[in-house]
Amino acid sequence: MTRNIVVTGMGAVTPLGGDFPTSWNALIAGRDAQAPLELFDTTGCRCHHAASATLPDLPELPAKTVRRLARASRMAIPAAREALASAGLLDKESRSTLRELPFVVSTTAGGMAFGEDFLRRALNHERSHLFSQVSRYLPQQQVLDVQQVLGFAGHSVIIANACASGANAIGHAADLIASGAADCVLTGGMEALTELVFVGFDCLQATSTDRCRPFDLNRTGLLLGEAAAFLVLESAEHAQRRGAKPLCHLTGYGHTTDFFHLTQPQPEGNALVEMMRAAANQAGITPAQIGYINAHGTGTPVNDGTEAKAYRTFLGDALVSTRISSTKAAIGHTLGAAGSVEALFAVEALRTDHLPPQLNLQTPIPEIAHALVGENESSPKMHHVMSVNLGFGGSNAALLFSRSASP
Amino acid sequence: MKIDLAVIGEGAVIPAGIGVDALLHREPATALVASLRQPDQSWPVLRIDLNDPAFARWQREARLRRASPISFFLVEAAEQALAGITPADRARTGIIVVYSAGCLAYSRRFFEGIVKQGQKTASPALFPETVFNSPVSHVASVLGLNGAAYALVGDEGAWVAALKTAAVWLKTGRVRQALILGAEEFDPIVLDAYRSAGWLRRQNSASGFLTSEGAAGILVRSARSGDRRIIATARDGLIYRTKKEAAHAAECLLRESDPALPCYRSAQHNWLGSLEKRATENRPIIPSADLPYLGEAFTASAAWHTLRALNLISPEVPKLLLPVWGLNHQFGLLELESARKNEKFPR
Repeated sequence: MTRNIVVTGMGAVTPLGGDFPTSWNALIAGRDAQAPLELFDTTGCRCHHAASATLPDLPELPAKTVRRLARASRMAIPAAREALASAGLLDKESRSTLRELPFVVSTTAGGMAFGEDFLRRALNHERSHLFSQVSRYLPQQQVLDVQQVLGFAGHSVIIANACASGANAIGHAADLIASGAADCVLTGGMEALTELVFVGFDCLQATSTDRCRPFDLNRTGLLLGEAAAFLVLESAEHAQRRGAKPLCHLTGYGHTTDFFHLTQPQPEGNALVEMMRAAANQAGITPAQIGYINAHGTGTPVNDGTEAKAYRTFLGDALVSTRISSTKAAIGHTLGAAGSVEALFAVEALRTDHLPPQLNLQTPIPEIAHALVGENESSPKMHHVMSVNLGFGGSNAALLFSRSASP
Repeated sequence: MKIDLAVIGEGAVIPAGIGVDALLHREPATALVASLRQPDQSWPVLRIDLNDPAFARWQREARLRRASPISFFLVEAAEQALAGITPADRARTGIIVVYSAGCLAYSRRFFEGIVKQGQKTASPALFPETVFNSPVSHVASVLGLNGAAYALVGDEGAWVAALKTAAVWLKTGRVRQALILGAEEFDPIVLDAYRSAGWLRRQNSASGFLTSEGAAGILVRSARSGDRRIIATARDGLIYRTKKEAAHAAECLLRESDPALPCYRSAQHNWLGSLEKRATENRPIIPSADLPYLGEAFTASAAWHTLRALNLISPEVPKLLLPVWGLNHQFGLLELESARKNEKFPR
């Protein structure tokens, strides 16, 4: 990065909790949020469970307004507010102190449930005019919801790079600051469980009917989840000027596209390796300096096998000293939010030296068996951590967070 | 924000035909399509003819075997914009595709299948093609674009965000050049959606817009001496939710611009037209009314207008303003010019 970029605030709503500290504590305690899915009927599906979030109350908003919000907004507003609050950017009325605040957001489905309902009604030839459903289904409406409730405006970008989107959003926010286009950016992702997406993964037989077991030889598929997670990124000078304390530094962002197949990575994970090298090069570090990797680790047979090979290639001899885990067994695969919420977990691991355990592991895959994090594991003071994500369409993204700006 | 992007390639797929020439000169024909909710009611729409010979080579591509129409619009517009670019340079080219609704036709078909036949029969072939970035992946794969790749979502204002994103990529050295495309595809469900908003034009009426589809794109790199088509500055983020907020945002949009700069009016036949008229009434206006009406295709429309405005730059009009009117989120403004600062347009 050409400018020193720091993280000064974090906030999240996940299936493990309505705020980031609650989610983190539950994660470290080894809890998972898998439960029967009650948001919509799944009678015709193979899988009937997911990791749903409990939506936090929004007492400052009229009940009518809350009822109209998309589920993604119900998570995004409190998560973004928590991020701004922890960065010291909220006033007494819980509104942003920065009226112009660039906002880089990721999602894959936005307010899809509104679109589903509208289509269902249209197919039933119902005569009601439900324009609010149409207008609120689009992802920019969730962006507007956050902007309006938290009182800021300005440049906004919505990245929809499938499951890598969240990491892309954070990486792009860092690029905005690095290029001088912004000094401070609110960035992250949001995703709500919807029937279209759930059935989509189910019909691909990508969901597990058992437990989600990332990096296990007997893994059978993923657990879908939902979440919203946001970070405040700033140039170090901007943070210093306003007296904000950096939580860590964002030192590297790698991003590649794997052309192999729309839904499957190239078996050796070449594009993944290239992406991780790009992030490490930008940070000016070697793989051996990375203490922990929050892996994509969906629990699907194809993804985890390729990803493990890529870690082996990228880390080489450093595989013995690097710790790896996927947090998707705990909170599910949160798609457009995955890259963001997992980046927050990686940052917190860096800050606390506590490592999220690899849940549901019975027979670890041999490529990275010794690197997978066990229960109650901590690591001696780490200097760098990485968060890795892969997505449909071959979108790959890696973020590197460091204790200090210098390698 | 100063973005200084030199436009070095252009491509367009519009209901009137294929190519930038069609964009400037050809009048599209309307077709009548029935709505889903009221099959006895039809609406005039502007469609792309996928039987156009230009699409034949893409239909032979294995990667595009199951792809939705939007992927074909995109790959054709992208290939036009990349004309003359070597494979080595393509490998260092990034791609940004902006959508409002994305792969709508397949999304509708997939969910309609769930509603009508049940979840058990959901199509695993359709679902991956409903994902926003699938067409981006197809285009990058087919055309060998190895640089960064983003799918962005929003209304027309997202086109401006995409241009700014490209400028950031170029400045940070992520790519050597960037291909930026806007695209939308038609599906009958939008007739019900736009009708509920009161946006649609009825047959034999002049009010409201015609629903349209297509794509357009520009290939850009950082501007340097001698470049003749430059997107110099980009402003976005003027957000609104109500008509009152929209009126205020429209007032603010042009406030900081040189009042002598001519303006291209882009809000044709939609509810923002009156706002645009008011915001630009004291400015010189570039005559664009004789350009064929292409209907409303959101991000594709924003790209079409940008190409048209770029093609209006001349020795007589070396600089112009292009407002970008987002229909449900934000407004933006582009400043287009014929040469970098202190350079004169050659006569």
